[in-house]
Amino acid sequence: MASLDDPGEVREGFLCPLCLKDLQSFCQLQSHYEEEHSGEDRDVKGQIKSLVQKAKKAKNRLLKREGDDRAESGTQGYESFSYGGVDPYMWEPQELGAVRSHLSDFKKHRAARIDHYVVEVNKLIIRLEKLTAFDRTNTESAKIRAIEKSVVPWVNDQDVPFCPDCGNKFSIRNRRHHCRLCGSIMCKKCMELISLPFANKLTSASKDSLSTHTSPSQSPNSVHGSRRGSISSMSSVSSVLDEKDDDRIRCCTHCKDTLLKREQQIDEKEHTPDIVKLYEKLRLCMEKVDQKAPEYIRMAASLNAGETTYSLEHASDLRIEVQKVYELIDALSKKILTLGLNQDPPPHPNTLRLQRMIRYSATLFVQEKLLGLMSLPTREQFEELKKKRKQEMERKRILERQAALESQRRLKERWSDLAPRTANGEVASLRGGPAPLRKAEGWLPLSGGQGQSEDSDPLLQQIHNITSFIRQARAAGRADEVRTLQENLRQLQDEYDQQQTEKAIELSRRQAEEEDLQREQLQMLREREWEREREQFQAASLHTRTRSLDFREIRPFQLEPGREPRTHLAYALDLGSSPVQSSAAQKTPSPVSALEPVRVWSGPPAVGQEPLPQSTVSQQSELASLNPFEEEDPSSPTADGTTSPPAAEPASGPSACVLKEYNPFEEEEEEAVAGNPFTNPDSPAPNPFDEEDEYPCPRPSSPPVPGNPFEEATCTNPFEMDSDSGPEGEEPIEEELLLQQIDNIKAYIFDAKQCGRLDEVELLTENLRELKRTLAKQKGGTD
Amino acid sequence: MNVVFAVKQYVSKMIEDSGPGMKVLLMDKETTGIVSMVYTQSEILQKEVYLFERIDSQNREIMKHLKAICFLRPTKENVDYLIQELRRPKYSIYFIYFSNVISKSDVKSLAEADEQEVVAEVQEFYGDYIAVNPHLFSLNILGCCQGRNWDPAQLSRTTQGLTALLLSLKKCPMIRYQLSSESAKRLAECVKQVITKEYELFEFRRTEVPPLLLILDRCDDAITPLLNQWTYQAMVHELLGINNNRIDLSRVPGISKDLREVVLSAENDEFYANNMYLNFAEIGSNIKNLMEDFQKKKPKEQQKLESIADMKAFVENYPQFKKMSGTVSKHVTVVGELSRLVSERNLLEVSEVEQELACQNDHSSALQNVKRLLQNPKVTEFDAARLVMLYALHYERHSSNSLPGLMMDLRNKGVSEKYRKLVSAIVEYGGKRVRGSDLFSPKDAVAITKQFLKGLKGVENVYTQHQPFLHETLDHLIKGKLKENLYPYLGPNTLRDRPQDIVVFIIGGATYEEALTVYNLNRTTPGVRIVLGGTTVHNTKSNLKSTGQFPRGSSGFRTAQQKQGELSSYSEVHKQTVNLNRRGERRRRARRPAQLALNLPAGFPHWPQVLEESLGFHACPYNPPPGSLLTPEL
Repeated sequence: MASLDDPGEVREGFLCPLCLKDLQSFCQLQSHYEEEHSGEDRDVKGQIKSLVQKAKKAKNRLLKREGDDRAESGTQGYESFSYGGVDPYMWEPQELGAVRSHLSDFKKHRAARIDHYVVEVNKLIIRLEKLTAFDRTNTESAKIRAIEKSVVPWVNDQDVPFCPDCGNKFSIRNRRHHCRLCGSIMCKKCMELISLPFANKLTSASKDSLSTHTSPSQSPNSVHGSRRGSISSMSSVSSVLDEKDDDRIRCCTHCKDTLLKREQQIDEKEHTPDIVKLYEKLRLCMEKVDQKAPEYIRMAASLNAGETTYSLEHASDLRIEVQKVYELIDALSKKILTLGLNQDPPPHPNTLRLQRMIRYSATLFVQEKLLGLMSLPTREQFEELKKKRKQEMERKRILERQAALESQRRLKERWSDLAPRTANGEVASLRGGPAPLRKAEGWLPLSGGQGQSEDSDPLLQQIHNITSFIRQARAAGRADEVRTLQENLRQLQDEYDQQQTEKAIELSRRQAEEEDLQREQLQMLREREWEREREQFQAASLHTRTRSLDFREIRPFQLEPGREPRTHLAYALDLGSSPVQSSAAQKTPSPVSALEPVRVWSGPPAVGQEPLPQSTVSQQSELASLNPFEEEDPSSPTADGTTSPPAAEPASGPSACVLKEYNPFEEEEEEAVAGNPFTNPDSPAPNPFDEEDEYPCPRPSSPPVPGNPFEEATCTNPFEMDSDSGPEGEEPIEEELLLQQIDNIKAYIFDAKQCGRLDEVELLTENLRELKRTLAKQKGGTD
Repeated sequence: MNVVFAVKQYVSKMIEDSGPGMKVLLMDKETTGIVSMVYTQSEILQKEVYLFERIDSQNREIMKHLKAICFLRPTKENVDYLIQELRRPKYSIYFIYFSNVISKSDVKSLAEADEQEVVAEVQEFYGDYIAVNPHLFSLNILGCCQGRNWDPAQLSRTTQGLTALLLSLKKCPMIRYQLSSESAKRLAECVKQVITKEYELFEFRRTEVPPLLLILDRCDDAITPLLNQWTYQAMVHELLGINNNRIDLSRVPGISKDLREVVLSAENDEFYANNMYLNFAEIGSNIKNLMEDFQKKKPKEQQKLESIADMKAFVENYPQFKKMSGTVSKHVTVVGELSRLVSERNLLEVSEVEQELACQNDHSSALQNVKRLLQNPKVTEFDAARLVMLYALHYERHSSNSLPGLMMDLRNKGVSEKYRKLVSAIVEYGGKRVRGSDLFSPKDAVAITKQFLKGLKGVENVYTQHQPFLHETLDHLIKGKLKENLYPYLGPNTLRDRPQDIVVFIIGGATYEEALTVYNLNRTTPGVRIVLGGTTVHNTKSNLKSTGQFPRGSSGFRTAQQKQGELSSYSEVHKQTVNLNRRGERRRRARRPAQLALNLPAGFPHWPQVLEESLGFHACPYNPPPGSLLTPEL
């Protein structure tokens, strides 16, 4: 902020009235004042008060503007309840209420319990391991029993006359069984069995987790059958009955329960359900959006304002990226929604509810964020925006100069040093410079006349400085700095705008009768025309909007930027020979005789000589033929104002009806419209030339241009734009778009089938067939 | 001192602390209501809370990929449920928050149940009350007293609620109570006891002037809940009933299906936030503005939408438009129903007499008016009984009291016994014998002069001349003039300065009229912040119910509106409502979400559908209205 040191200029911000230090906020200023200057004159206090009031006023104005914006977007201008005073809604921020944690207490109690539990489990596992460590099938049962007994001491039979679980008396028929894991006794009914695989699973899992030596299942493959040591064992006859467990281990219910719980824990540790994987991806995407979208919005806002701080390509890349993420979010959430729907036991209703809720929140997310995603200007719109902006700047400068002159007269002491600066060169650049140049080159040279050094206003100078800073920072790749600078710039510009408008208002009142009035009027005229143009841009950008809204169809993402130019080139090759034909070929699939109205429409300017405009164009510049769509732009063949406004007017009629008749599915139409590179930021026009060349037809803004400015103004009425975009929808459809469209329609068919709308299915199928045919044809044509 | 914000902060903190990942919110019946008052479903969804479960529901599935946030009242049942839950955990990790103080032994038994170490947090977050408005809370307890004494269970619940409020606002107050009420004293003592017991919790930064808790009893002012109301919120509650911000419209004739129950929450409904304290006349004109605005926003004529710029505008405004259409249809329906009830029940006239009964001391004219209205066939039996109740309360000891005559009139009118019984019940409840202060006749010279002047000048609005008694009480309190013999301090300490932060609690329930009074006091007295609470928020019906004798299930009363002159605009609004509803019907048949009809150009019959589809509305089969609170889900 070098210029802040400039003594002559007006400074603003929260300046200390005594030391002129710039403080960032009102609060800071106040505390600064209290700290540094508290002892000083009272008089100053009054000064600061007025300053503060001014600052507050300014702030109010700002706030009001914000408020207005908000009101516009929401419910507007209702009389709200305002008696003055403090609304409970506005009470000062309050901190989180009291809380109390019982966690440490809880943990203490739990730890005691857990220790106990863990020891239990580990004991069981170790015993289980011992029991399975030998080859059970090849060991005699007596030996098995001996080993089992060695693992855990068995409870004495005599001590337990009743089954502790069910209370039945033990007898010859109701025999005692020992749990091999804890040694306790239960009856047969209460006995549980552990199979070897289950035991292995538990032991190996705890082994793995402890990373100890390998699993004990080193048992050699036993060729022998099962070894029942029943006879050799002296225990009893009855032992024959229960000694069949060479491949399982007896245990009590309690031990089994513990082991089962353990197993469950192991399972859960290893298992991640699909929904979690998908959900994690979904969240990643959302984070990405949260990161990228604001950046993009900043870019788009800046670009749409005609600023040149960001490059259009960069922005459109980013847009594509963000859109890709949106589609991914949509696809992922859809996948989550349908997860497990076809499984045999249908998922629990709560699972489904969860899936629905995730989908719903993803939809909310996308709706909210995507709608904030404004469209970018097309390349040529951008050029015009830039021009417009420059003009506006120029206009402001003029106004400012006039204001300066005016104020010079009135407030000499204040503006005296500014006057000489403003006076120089500006008039020339205004009167002589722009107009003729404009005619030839579309106002581009204005930038030359607009030398930055001669900015008369310190604010302007500052703006330029910052712009250059931004450029440097961008080159250095410091995004955060760029951001702050940008913010700075915007503030400055706002301030400047305000200043200028104020001056302009005063001025226009004063100099109404003077000669300057004429210029003023012309400018007004121009302004009106710009307005009109802007309407057009907005109209055109609609397509991109609608396009961007359509994230419903999930498709493998196809918009590889690299591919786009190739197709264009292919077209160019083809179009060089027979552009009309190819476009006709494209149109055949459309169910209606849309072809006719379109021809008729594009005809009038050329008065029935169809080939003529085409050839002119190709002679005029190669670039035009590079892009098949631009050829049809009515402005190029009719460049020199031959378009009579009436010719354009009726044209909108048929084109509108084409729009309607084209096909029953508007969405399709949207797609098609969106596909045209004029409006589609996805496909940067592969146009090596500057767009101005395509517009030898001047923007009807420069008064000195021969021809009635009013007439030209009517040329640019919104209808023309409408009719532009209409037929563009009928243009040869890009292959990629066709593919997309086919995908879409397939999806529709599926949808319709599911909903049982058979007539729709039929219609769609027909449509699909046509599309496919077109695709085939097109492929044949380009090959 | 914003109670909505206090609870909201608690809930936000819970969700934040649990970190990223899918979450389920486990609640009990009461905490469900508490959370739903401060968070909307869409809002909470954005914080990755996707499921809402009741701890007592048996039908919960094991979902180990979810984190569970448990927000529960520390009741015995809840602790038991939680112990069962922890023994066989259904979710991967548990963050447990109790809405009030929980005993050490409960913590211990929970800890012992947590064998799988799934609990990551155990805290007390004191959101143990229903935050209705920023300055109004309720405990949703109907019938807290048996006769003159507390129901012990309700006393402990009320104590818990009140202490939780103090903790959530971080206030450790001095306590004053209404001497004439035994219940007030009991409650004051209980609160004091908790503060003493949990002194560690109540150690907050000392403010210069300590906050004040004033405990009142409803029976001191039985008049206020008997009056018809004319401000939006109060009127809706009086005529339709608000329950946790939800309004049941199912009795409205010809109501469309999706408007059966609507949510009025100032937190996410701008129109409501701006209008809840305005009177019915103002609402009428505001809703007209809203309609006009809406008309402007919606695409108008055929050729209009055909122009691409228009479509673009439409697309850009579409979500807003949808939201707005929801707001518009909701409020138009509600206001339409209000105005229907007003005219059906002749409420303007009734209200005028009610106000006269409540605010003036002219016995003969009051009696005459009541008698006249009792003859009017349009006045419902409920309203008739209510007029007699007001008369009975006001002229209880009047020398020429003719209550028996009025009771005769009621009987002749065919008013059923149950209503007639209420008259004596209300006198029993809030009669002169019970009241600690004089409701009707002014006490000091200033007040007398004031009333005299008022009588001289006439009142600017006959329907809203009544000021709740609470206004006077609070006014005196703020000015430091509240008599200590009527409202003594609990304990030896007294407040020397004027109070700044005041919590008023009314045993037996507050009313929205009082809420409005407090709201206005908050606005007009800088430096003073008042929060009003009650065991419930009353309308006449609930008030009478809580006196213990009101017949259950009687829905015979409804209410009314401002000056007759404004009626034209209402009927207009009403007409629009009907139209809108009718159109909405047709559109719904076409399976489209927007409730209000769009005049679509013939050339673009599918346009909104295309939009919906492309916006993903169609693709998402489950599409609850974004404004709906989560409770209906549960």
